[in-house]
Amino acid sequence: MINETLEHARETLLRPSVPDKIQAVTSSTFTRLVLEAEGPIVVEFMSYGCEHCRAIEPVLEKVAEMVKPRESIFRVNIAVEQELASSYQIEGTPTLVMFLNQNEVGRVEGPSPTVSSVLTAVTQPFESRAEAY
Amino acid sequence: MTTIQKQTKPILLFNDECAVCRHIGHWVQKSARSKSGETSILVQPIGDDPERLRSLNPDLDIWDAYETIHVLMPDGSMKLGGGAVAETLRNLPNTRWFAWTFATSIFGFRPFQIMLNVAYAILADVRPLFGCESCGKSKVFKPIQRVFKWAKTLFGGRPNPSPTPHFSSLSAVRRRPVAVPVEPFPQSRAS
Repeated sequence: MINETLEHARETLLRPSVPDKIQAVTSSTFTRLVLEAEGPIVVEFMSYGCEHCRAIEPVLEKVAEMVKPRESIFRVNIAVEQELASSYQIEGTPTLVMFLNQNEVGRVEGPSPTVSSVLTAVTQPFESRAEAY
Repeated sequence: MTTIQKQTKPILLFNDECAVCRHIGHWVQKSARSKSGETSILVQPIGDDPERLRSLNPDLDIWDAYETIHVLMPDGSMKLGGGAVAETLRNLPNTRWFAWTFATSIFGFRPFQIMLNVAYAILADVRPLFGCESCGKSKVFKPIQRVFKWAKTLFGGRPNPSPTPHFSSLSAVRRRPVAVPVEPFPQSRAS
């Protein structure tokens, strides 16, 4: 516990900065990137100050890589985009909302931060839609 | 192209969604101001813009900034946790007189720095008790849990997954109060 902070400092200094794997959307780009886009879209409503969002972040990045060609994952920072959050009746963070052809097809609030749990959350709504057709 | 903010003074970053952090930020800002009006350390809220933080230091990740206190040094390095607290105290006129103790080394150990690291870790865990809206559930027993977790790993045990629900209600997350007035950024240069 004592050395944790010092080790963290060393790691942070050595780690190269990497661009975000999950693109952020704002109220001005939401329509174009989410509603008008083709194919399955997942939007994570989050806040950088939320510890659960922090916990899920590396998992969501892994999942974004796994589902990349089929699904796109975006992020909405609700601390900034409060109107967007209220228009989708977001009650807390992290909330994953799944969109297909402008329609919300699923929503998961606070998924467990494991790859299997998040992967199921972001794929199941689309699979059940496909089965229905 | 990333624009790096050229800084001449250390910058303390604090979580502006956390009441405890905000009060500490206010206190540091007031304490850092000398009679002539000059400040020895700049105080900045972390905010919501990852790119703005990267412009302060390319290695600075916004998630890390929210996880633990950061002081960005003019030489490009970063101090975290207890080290950041010590650096802040070293820069304040009122606390400078005792801050040297944190650098004191005895047989290769810095006992006062270690004590400060522990104190910071405990405060960081229990700060929801003092009114941190963004820190989620209070983790009063986390320091004790850490000891047990560490002891368990000594015997090859695997820590259990967190039993807490992985969700912060919006009433806690969205309440974004007015932060400490932002210090003007130093002049910028392109890199």
